[in-house]
Amino acid sequence: MKPIRYIIPLTAIALAMTGCIRTEPLNAECDIVAATLPGDVMSQNAIISNSEVIFYVNKGTDKTRLAPEFVLTEGASINPPSGTVRDFETPQTYTVTSQDHQYDKVYTVTVNNPGISLTYDFEHIRYVENPRYKYDVFYEVNPDGSESFEWASGNQGYALTGRGTLDPSSFPTYQSADGHDGKCLTLTTRTTGTFGNAMNAPIAAGNLFIGDFVVNPSAPAKSTHFGRPFDRKPINLSGYYRYTPGETYYRLNKSLSDKLEPVPGKVDEFNIYGVLFERPEIGYLDGTNILTSPDVTAVALFNDGDRTPSTTWRHFSLPFVYLKKLDFEKLFDGKYSIAIVMSSSIDGDTFSGAPGSTLMVDQLVLTCEE
Amino acid sequence: MKQHPYRILIFTISFIVATFSAKAQNETTQLLEWSVLHGLEYEIYAGVNIGGTAPMPMPAEIRKIDGYNPMLNLALGGNVTKWIDTAPQWGFSVGICFENKGMDTKATVKNYGMEIIQDGSRIAGNWTGRVDTKYHTSLITFPVLARWRPTARWNFHLGPYIGLSLNHEFSGTVHDGYLREGDPTGTKVVFEGEAEAPYNFDSDLRTFQYGLQGGASWRAFKHLALRANLSWGLNDIFKKSFKTVEFPLYPIYANLGFNYIF
Repeated sequence: MKPIRYIIPLTAIALAMTGCIRTEPLNAECDIVAATLPGDVMSQNAIISNSEVIFYVNKGTDKTRLAPEFVLTEGASINPPSGTVRDFETPQTYTVTSQDHQYDKVYTVTVNNPGISLTYDFEHIRYVENPRYKYDVFYEVNPDGSESFEWASGNQGYALTGRGTLDPSSFPTYQSADGHDGKCLTLTTRTTGTFGNAMNAPIAAGNLFIGDFVVNPSAPAKSTHFGRPFDRKPINLSGYYRYTPGETYYRLNKSLSDKLEPVPGKVDEFNIYGVLFERPEIGYLDGTNILTSPDVTAVALFNDGDRTPSTTWRHFSLPFVYLKKLDFEKLFDGKYSIAIVMSSSIDGDTFSGAPGSTLMVDQLVLTCEE
Repeated sequence: MKQHPYRILIFTISFIVATFSAKAQNETTQLLEWSVLHGLEYEIYAGVNIGGTAPMPMPAEIRKIDGYNPMLNLALGGNVTKWIDTAPQWGFSVGICFENKGMDTKATVKNYGMEIIQDGSRIAGNWTGRVDTKYHTSLITFPVLARWRPTARWNFHLGPYIGLSLNHEFSGTVHDGYLREGDPTGTKVVFEGEAEAPYNFDSDLRTFQYGLQGGASWRAFKHLALRANLSWGLNDIFKKSFKTVEFPLYPIYANLGFNYIF
């Protein structure tokens, strides 16, 4: 049959669609995907973020002569090379270059003993900025001026919604000037616009916590990785707060076009709490189990009804309640982690709350047994 | 809301049939006789469009086509051909065609630059993973074709066309992969399991299209011919201001069907 010939143009189309796959481009990424220290010196797996690696080492480890080894994105290279002996009394930097040589990224590598500073005044920030937005990252310093640790927040996730601007106070978590003493932390619950909505996360509560934030679109509550190694027994968490709930409380309702269902009469509440837990194999607890995991040893919580709104600074003091016996041997070995968590909407983990709810916090103190 | 594309086709069929049957009987005979004397020939045709909107050449970022569904795209139209008196093998025709062009594709991409702006919000970065795309448009095209008939059965044609789209859709999702925010050194956001991000570029599509089409028909019977032709779009389906998809996409469709020649 002659019509068979008409197959030819069809074949041409098929070729156009599938036949022209070109040679795979070289990798453009330059990540450290794994990091180890030789010998039995690490007290937990390295914490690796997009531009930072933190090692926690056992007590007594000589930090002046360590030779970290790195696994990189395929084809990428690192300078100084993996296995170079360096002095980690202060953080060291490494530059990773992609396989296609088009991109490089500087990593700061820190080696810490367990333990972090115990007073937090939110005076110190650095910026994450690019041409479209800029947000605050809080960090704390030790009495000698060295950096103790960096707080984590959901700002990184909010940046992905495109709602943040070059004004850091457009983000849910930011520093503001009128603290109880000096500057303070401010958390504001915000709506997330078209993109957040599409991800079923129409609301972003302002939050700040000890740990890491790793955006997880399939399970947003697992984006918060709580805790840092800690070798002291906490007994109390205190500080100052101001709180103004937003006008209308909304509950996440995926069947509505804007995903937000108003709940008349419900007033938003903030949350501040501390948790000491025995660190599980994975290295952290997350938003799904921070208060419910069997690894939780002690918690410092507000009683229901005590989260009173206040337009002036109000002092609070939360004793750590021990749910389990503390194993001091494990504590000194750095097997426990501490997390302090603050949020402008108590139900922020389920994307419910009142846009505009604002929590300000200053002069947090974690009191420990001598 | 969106017009159902087939409604347009059915309307067109009715219109053409009505036009010609109204002139049936004597008038038709007279008209056709008059037409033959003046070297004019009329045809209507129906067929399906199979193809895609594709970048040419395929960018290296596209690693794999995982799935492709040409969908059922109907085309219906008519041509008037004027055969030249002094060189009866040659002629030219003008026509009108109501047609749908569309496809569903699933592709795997690596380090695919994207920037999506919606309601003033913006996400930019490099995506590695799966991209599902649905493209569909209903349009009226006006081809102007040169004709060549070396034998009584074969009839070849080639020429430009312009098209006006009546409605269009370009949307889909990205899933099973990760976004590097900003550039490949940016924060990595992994989408796995059921996580997906939708996109919709309907309003960034052009209304006006142009291109070339060419093909042949083979006259099986006195009034009926089989036809095949390829229409190759020469302008990007997206507006110039649209930067999200970094490479131009051209509609390239084969049309298979039959002609009725009066």
